[in-house]
Amino acid sequence: MKALEDLVTLFTRLPGIGRKSALRMTYYLLKADPRFAQSLAEQIAGLQDQIKFCSVCGSYTESDPCPVCSGLDRDRRILCVVEQPQDVITIEASREYRGLYHVLGGLLSPLDGIGPDKLRIASLIQRIRKSRNESVPIQEVVLATNPTVEGDTTALYIRKVLEQEGVAVTRLATGIPVGGDLEYADRLTLARSFRGRMPL
Amino acid sequence: MSFSRIRLVSYRNLEDAEINTAADRVFLIGENGQGKTNLLEALYYLSFGGSFRGQVDAQIPANGVKGFGLKGYWKNNSILEDEIEISVQNSVKDIRLNGKPVRDRKELVGHNPSVVFCHEDFSFAAGEPELRRFFFDQCAGMISLDYIDILRAYRRVLKQRNAALKESAYDLLEVLDPQFVRYGQELMAIREIIFARFQKQFPQLYEHVSQLGKPVELEYRPNWPQGAGFEEILQFVESKRDIEIIQGTTRSGPHRDRWNFVSGGESFTDTASTGQLRLVSLVLRVVEAIVYAETVEAQTGTRQWPVLLLDDVLLELDVGKRRRFLELLPGEREGAQAFFTFLPGEPWTEYASGDTLVYRVNHGRFEG
Repeated sequence: MKALEDLVTLFTRLPGIGRKSALRMTYYLLKADPRFAQSLAEQIAGLQDQIKFCSVCGSYTESDPCPVCSGLDRDRRILCVVEQPQDVITIEASREYRGLYHVLGGLLSPLDGIGPDKLRIASLIQRIRKSRNESVPIQEVVLATNPTVEGDTTALYIRKVLEQEGVAVTRLATGIPVGGDLEYADRLTLARSFRGRMPL
Repeated sequence: MSFSRIRLVSYRNLEDAEINTAADRVFLIGENGQGKTNLLEALYYLSFGGSFRGQVDAQIPANGVKGFGLKGYWKNNSILEDEIEISVQNSVKDIRLNGKPVRDRKELVGHNPSVVFCHEDFSFAAGEPELRRFFFDQCAGMISLDYIDILRAYRRVLKQRNAALKESAYDLLEVLDPQFVRYGQELMAIREIIFARFQKQFPQLYEHVSQLGKPVELEYRPNWPQGAGFEEILQFVESKRDIEIIQGTTRSGPHRDRWNFVSGGESFTDTASTGQLRLVSLVLRVVEAIVYAETVEAQTGTRQWPVLLLDDVLLELDVGKRRRFLELLPGEREGAQAFFTFLPGEPWTEYASGDTLVYRVNHGRFEG
């Protein structure tokens, strides 16, 4: 059954999907309401046409600029720099942050040939400079890259290039997770927690 | 800790079986190529989730089979037994400790570690500095689980740094260097501790067995200035920049630290005989076991020895050295378990005690 096998092969290309899961999904679709299968196919086919990158922040959006960049209720003094568009969705889900975003599109990694020119760092600098002519200029840049070697390298690099731009540069705190247990924290996390300790 | 039994499935030439190992000493007697070392390897695999022979998972399954399985049981401090189960199928490894999946092999280190004494250890005494670093990194990983994380992070920054040098991305060095120095300093700090603890034991134990008459000491020579602070080391790293740009590689850091053996102010490695160097590697392993036992005692109040796996090590020692070397091993009352391999002609009965299990190994079959 070539049609069945072809679909299984396509599903296995998706992240986190092995052959067993792909087979289960394919058999499910075979038995499902045809309208569901049709709707799923249309959504998948139209996804790349409908979802684009926001020309301002680089996040995923259906309208350009995205709702965050054009939102009147956002705090325009603060800009959060993230690695990828998914990070915007994660931070938005926390409902804790009401500022703007800037998506880098990756992290600095000389091993993978990713230098500053491959990331949206120049556009970040342009955006900060342009905001000086607006009623509310950007005053703080929050670096929210992952606490990995590449994430830290990228954060340190951005801090360096923003030195002369007259904005405060901050980094997301790292340390013991809320509800976590000191006993189970690894030394690197504990060491970072001590470095980032705060007065009560 | 001690293994009470072990189950083998498709493991090299060993017959699928469950083997009782509930004894302080387990002797494996057989001709070469019968499977004695393979059993030691299986025990080591259960301790750390990998072989002491390197990355050999693909070579382990018995002929015509795509995977292998191991199960080990050991008594913990309660009435229950702990169980570790490892299966490798089509190059996918699954490790379960008491039924729960283990994501990172380093999680196994603190449970039932073992120390293997094998012929290849000779390279720690006589081989390249890199091999000695490997040995002491292994020891540091056993006494400090965080050392493994720090070493991984250091190596990652080092790789990125070397790539930046090769790709002429020099502006990135400025942001990579602070991380490079920070992780490097943490490695150095733990290595200093390891050095102090080895140096406390090694010279006297080596003298006890060798009766050389002049002390053989361990020396730790960090590549970065000893005792220097963060800023000073950062400047030291930067001072190498020009030569690094020419050579396209990192020229300083803990990956270039040296561990030496010295006697009378000279390199012992350069002047010692093969037998003397062989003994260095054996005593290093004994000290590794002692340092681990002391670490657990400091943390829990109870001295806990790793399982000792001795592969043909007595064969190369003369009678006196054999006796004195065995005196270094923890006694049976201390609850240390040791597995020994012997050739049939060796006087293994001299080393047996009340609680010794003896297996004849023949074509992968163990007969008690």
